[in-house]
Amino acid sequence: MTKSSAKQAPRKIVSLDKRKARAGWLFVLPFVIGFIIIYLPIILDSLKYSFSKINIVAGGGYETVSVGFANYQSALFEDPSYVQILLSGLTQLVTDVPAIVIFALFMAVLLNGKILGRAAFRAIFFIPVIISTGVVANIDSMNILQSHMDSGSAIDDGPGDTGATNIINLADVTWLFSNMQVGTELRQYVVALVNNIFNVIKRSGVQMLIFLAGLQSISPAIYESCSIDGATAWETFWKITFPMVSPMILVNAIYTLIDSFTSESNSVMKYIENVYSQAGQNCVSTAMSWIYFIIIVLAVALVAALLSAYVFYQKRD
Amino acid sequence: MNNNTAVSENAPKIKRETKNTIKVDFERTNFWTRFKLKYLTSNALVSALWWLFRFILLLGISYVILQPFYSKFASSFMGKEDFVDVTVKLIPKHPTLDTYAQVIKENRYFEALLNTTILSLSCAVLQTISCSLIGYGLSKYKFKGNKLIFALVIFTMIIPHKTLHLALYMKFRYFDIGVGKFGLFNLLNTLKLTSFSDIKLTTTYWPFVILSITGLGFKNGLFIFMMRQFFKGVPDELEESAYIDGYGPLRTFFKIIIPISIPMMITIFLFAFSWQWTDNFYVETFIGSGAKNKLYLLPQIVTVPKTMETDYAGKSLYETAIRNTCGLLIIYPLIVVYLFCQKYLVQGIERSGIVG
Repeated sequence: MTKSSAKQAPRKIVSLDKRKARAGWLFVLPFVIGFIIIYLPIILDSLKYSFSKINIVAGGGYETVSVGFANYQSALFEDPSYVQILLSGLTQLVTDVPAIVIFALFMAVLLNGKILGRAAFRAIFFIPVIISTGVVANIDSMNILQSHMDSGSAIDDGPGDTGATNIINLADVTWLFSNMQVGTELRQYVVALVNNIFNVIKRSGVQMLIFLAGLQSISPAIYESCSIDGATAWETFWKITFPMVSPMILVNAIYTLIDSFTSESNSVMKYIENVYSQAGQNCVSTAMSWIYFIIIVLAVALVAALLSAYVFYQKRD
Repeated sequence: MNNNTAVSENAPKIKRETKNTIKVDFERTNFWTRFKLKYLTSNALVSALWWLFRFILLLGISYVILQPFYSKFASSFMGKEDFVDVTVKLIPKHPTLDTYAQVIKENRYFEALLNTTILSLSCAVLQTISCSLIGYGLSKYKFKGNKLIFALVIFTMIIPHKTLHLALYMKFRYFDIGVGKFGLFNLLNTLKLTSFSDIKLTTTYWPFVILSITGLGFKNGLFIFMMRQFFKGVPDELEESAYIDGYGPLRTFFKIIIPISIPMMITIFLFAFSWQWTDNFYVETFIGSGAKNKLYLLPQIVTVPKTMETDYAGKSLYETAIRNTCGLLIIYPLIVVYLFCQKYLVQGIERSGIVG
């Protein structure tokens, strides 16, 4: 072997690492090219628009006039409701994200167990991920508006109603918790959550899939040794399942955060869209969304830093 | 071989013996005792209750998911009279196919369906290929800039697409490669080599195709992330053995990696297809929302047909129902695709090892 290879004509030797590095570049080339020639200009343009005003030139084409920070100023200080909507959107997020992550984890645990018709349940649970997006979600949001508008009339509960609008009300929950010293805020939160259950389900589909994947990857041997040691299901969940899926909790929290920040149904996004469609307000809306983007990055960084301190990684040999 | 001689006394008595099966006779506790020990204990009771609770909970949530679809489905068959009738809830009293017929005819459903099918199919195929290539490159090869490129992928995920709304439109309305005056076509024009002017790519398929090929389309950051995590779970030995057999990286990818990642790719395909199908942000940006566009897509059919405009007590509900019917017409084909692909969805994700 060695002799025959030594006899061969000397070739330029490229180490495997280098060849692999080249191949790696080859694979990511489409993205790099696309990013450099399309996405980067778009981002730069967008930044430029947020600092300028657009005039359409009569002969086709357009020109931009720089106006400095005027757009940002008008977004933050002149616009009557932007800051307010931003704040209320953020509070909404603080309550929604934990609910979605916890719900997704709970459902994934349920769907992972052996139950009658598991395949059917899984199929049903992932329907909203596939279907209730984009246009359909838009139509749905109009439905809710409709039922609000018609709430005075006799035909309120007609077939156009989404059915999931009012499952429980505050009085029931107050009665249920009457003996416990629970604050009103918590009760309101629970009520809002339960009444919003369809929305929560709709937004937790991908998260459920990710949790399911995580649950499947936990070795059954660990559960077996647990049950031999006499651990109950409750203990097993907190001592084994929870730490083992904690990396997925991090991934899901960040995904949920990004997803709800950038979803069409988000109130801030809706407001920005509204401003965008007003004549001459294009650039102000771009400035608004850049402010929003900075907030998103800060929030994601904060959550990632907070959660990653508690994540448990199983050491692999 | 001569085990007949070695049989001890309390060994089970052989009743019948054939080549592959053996039937023995032994003492067995009777059925009732076994039943009592197995099922009438507190443990079994608790687990049965837990099973029941779980089942009912899942059933209830399935109801919450399916009910809105059913109510839309039912209302799409309702006649005008049903919307002012308080007794009609979930079953139409005057069933009619008028709504469907009118929407299909007046909103040019089949034209939109054809266009959207072409668009979604091509986008989904291109995105699946490009995202798996990029994900593979990011996961299996160490090179300078790997981490930077991954960070950029995450960046495309995080940035709200509304931020880029105006810039995206401008980019493809006045298409050029590069920034502003330094754009490629602009430079060529000023050098008098060519005379491109005002390349308008909006209202065509091109913006979608270009974004899909480069992995920048709708939610492609997520797809690249998922593929990367999936390929990280594929053992390196597989590729190493392929290299030893003399395969290059590309051939390894197409001959070894693609066949084992089919379920994951179907998952990505399903996501890409259905999200593109119902997407209206990019459609609105590149195509516009009016019905007079050159390219007529499904999100644009959601209007109340001219002949169905009426003025009566149930008008708002009736119009909602018509809009819902448009929505249903959009999702019927998706449901068919989903039914075929859903088993790969869970399978693909399970194998993905999104585990960090």
